[in-house]
Amino acid sequence: MMQTQTRRQVVNAFIFLGPASAFLLVLLVAPIIVDLVVAFTDMSQTVRIDEYTTDQFRKIIRPNEEALLGFELRGSFYRALAKTAIFVFFTLAIFNVTFGLLLALTTTALPDWLGGTFRAIWLLPRMSPSVVYALLWIWVIDPTERGLVNQVLTNVFGSEPVNLFLQHPMAVIVVANGFIGASIGMLILTSAIRSIPQHLFFAARADGAGPLSIARHIIMPALRWPLSYITVFQSLALMVSFEYIFLIMGPARSTMTMAMLAYTKTLAPQIGSGQYAYGAAITLILIVIGVVVALLLYRLTNMKRLLAKPRIEVH
Amino acid sequence: MAQIELRSVSKHWGPTVAVDGMNLALENGEFVAILGPSGCGKSTTLFLLAGIYAPTSGDICFDGARINDVEPRDRNVGIVFQSYALYPNMTVLKNLLFPLRFTSVKSEEALRQAKAIAELVQIEELLERHPSQLSGGQQQRVALARALIKKPNLLLLDEPLSNLDATLRLTMRGEIKRIQRELRVTTILVTHDQVEATTMADRIICMNAGRVEQIGTPENLYRKPDRTFVATFVGSPPINLIDGHVRNGSFAVGQKRIPLSGSCRDADVTLGLRPELISVAETGLPSEITNIEPMGREILYTAQSEIGLFRFLEATPQPRMALEDRVRLHANPEDALFFEQETGSRIEGLSLAAFS
Repeated sequence: MMQTQTRRQVVNAFIFLGPASAFLLVLLVAPIIVDLVVAFTDMSQTVRIDEYTTDQFRKIIRPNEEALLGFELRGSFYRALAKTAIFVFFTLAIFNVTFGLLLALTTTALPDWLGGTFRAIWLLPRMSPSVVYALLWIWVIDPTERGLVNQVLTNVFGSEPVNLFLQHPMAVIVVANGFIGASIGMLILTSAIRSIPQHLFFAARADGAGPLSIARHIIMPALRWPLSYITVFQSLALMVSFEYIFLIMGPARSTMTMAMLAYTKTLAPQIGSGQYAYGAAITLILIVIGVVVALLLYRLTNMKRLLAKPRIEVH
Repeated sequence: MAQIELRSVSKHWGPTVAVDGMNLALENGEFVAILGPSGCGKSTTLFLLAGIYAPTSGDICFDGARINDVEPRDRNVGIVFQSYALYPNMTVLKNLLFPLRFTSVKSEEALRQAKAIAELVQIEELLERHPSQLSGGQQQRVALARALIKKPNLLLLDEPLSNLDATLRLTMRGEIKRIQRELRVTTILVTHDQVEATTMADRIICMNAGRVEQIGTPENLYRKPDRTFVATFVGSPPINLIDGHVRNGSFAVGQKRIPLSGSCRDADVTLGLRPELISVAETGLPSEITNIEPMGREILYTAQSEIGLFRFLEATPQPRMALEDRVRLHANPEDALFFEQETGSRIEGLSLAAFS
C-alpha cells in the first residue's frame, strides 16, 4: 500500500517535472557545458579539437600574431562590448522602460476601447514574423528616395535623402528593437496599473489630486516592482538578442554587438564564420557578464523582496 | 460645512439605472444614513456627491450653488471608503498630509493640523507607520482623519464599519458619532446595516433599486414604515408579513375574518406586525409553536396561527414554551400595519380592531 503510493509519487514527479527538466537540460544546460568546453579549445572550421588552450581568451587581451588580422580580433571584441552596452542601455532606457511606461499610463487613462486599440497596435510588431518586421524597417530607412523616411524628408521637408544605415546605424537598431520591446513593458505595466484598487484613485481625486499627481503618487509607487522586473529581464534579453540586428543591418561592423560577434564568428554563413572556439569564448564572456549584471540589478532593485512575497494589497 | 441638496438626480450606466430621480435635502451639520441592500444605488449616490461620477440628469447643489460640473478636488468633500483606501506607500503622517498638498496650507501649519486631527481620532503614536502595519480599526481611524483634515463641507462614509469585527464596530460607531458632533460636519453614512444607521444617524434615507423608499428618523422608519420594503428592511428579527384581503371591513385570510379599524375599500393587502409587539397571553389568536430559537438574552419563537406564521420574542433566558405547545398570541390591534399589495404603500389609518 505504502509502496504503491511512493511509486505513484515518483511517477507523478516525472510526469510533471519531466518535460520542463528535459527542456532545461537539452536547450540550456547542455549548450552552456558545450560552450564552456569549446571555449577552451582550438576548434575551427574543421570542427576538430586538437588541443585544450586558453588561446581564445588571449586573443582578446593581446594581438594574435598567428592570425592574418590578429590585432583586429582584439579591437572588434572591445568595440562589440561598447556597442552592446550602448544598445542595451538606450533600448532599455528610451523604449522598453520609459516608452512602455508612457504607453501604459496613457492607454489606461483613455477610455477602454481606445486604450485597447492602441495597445493592440503596439503589439502588432511582436506578433508579426521577425523577417517581415525587419523587411519593413529596411524599407523605412532605405537610403534611396523610395524609403519611407526619405520620402517624408524629401517631399514634406524638401531636404536631401539620408542614409541611416551609414549615418546612424546604432540608432536604427535601438529604434527597431525598441518598438518591439516597448510592448512587453506596456503589457506588464498596464496590468499593474489595472490591479491598483479603484478606491485609491477615488480617494486621491477626492483629496484634491489632479491626473499628474495621481500618476506620481498613486500609480508610480505601485509600478516599482514591475519596473524592476522589466529592467532586469529586458536587459538580459537585449544583451543576447541579435536577430533584428542581423536581419536589418546584416553583419555590418557598425552594429556588431557581442551577440552579433559570437554569431558571425561561428554560425553565420559565408562571412568569416567557423571560428567556433573563438565564438564560444565570446559567448562565455557574455554569459558571465549576464550573470554579473543580473546579480547587480537583483541587488540594486531589491528583487529579493519582489520574489519573496506578493506585494498585492488585500482588502 | 454645507447644506446639501439633490434635485431629481439620476445616474444611468447604459441601460441600467443606478439612481432614479433622487430628491434630498440635508441641513448643515446633519448626520444622515443611506440605508439599503447591496446594489440599491447608495454608494453611487455617495460618489455622485463626491464628484467621482457625474449625474446623468438632475442637479446637485452645495449651499444653493449647482456643482454638477465641479471637479472632486474643488468640492472639498472627505470620503472614508469601505476598504479605507489608504495610500500603501505612504506613512500615516504622509497619508494625512496628502490632501493638504493640494491646498495653500504651509507645511508647518499642515504638520500642526495633521497632529491635531491625529489626536482627535487617537492615532498620534502611529504617524510613522505604514498602512500595512496597522490593524483594521487603526486604518479606519487614519482614513477618517484623512477625510477630515481639509475641514470638508461634507463627510461621506461608505460602509466604514463593515470590515471591522463586532466589538470594534461598536467602538468605532461611538467614535465616529463623537467626532461628527465635535466637528459638526454634515455627514452621509452609507450602510446596509440597519443597526449602524439607526444608532448613528439623525435621519435615515431608505433606498431600494435606485429609488428613495422613505426618509425619516430611525423611530419613524421603525414605527411608521411607508412601504413594505422599509418595514422588512428595518427591524430585526424582520417584521411579520401576512398576505390577505380587505373584505367588507374585515381582514380576510382563507376562512378567517378579523375586523378592521378604519375604512378601506376591498383590496389585496399585507398585514405587518413587529415580533417585539407580540406576546403570549390568556386571550388572543390561537397558535401552535413550531420553532424555538434561543438568541442569548431573548428567545425567538415561531408560531403557526390560522392566518399564517408569526415570529415573536420573549425576553427570558430559558424557553417557557415547548414545540407544539398551543398558545394564544396577543398584540395591541392598533400596532398592526397594512400595506397595499399592488403598490407596496402603507394604508394610513388602517389597523385591526381586535387581535384574536
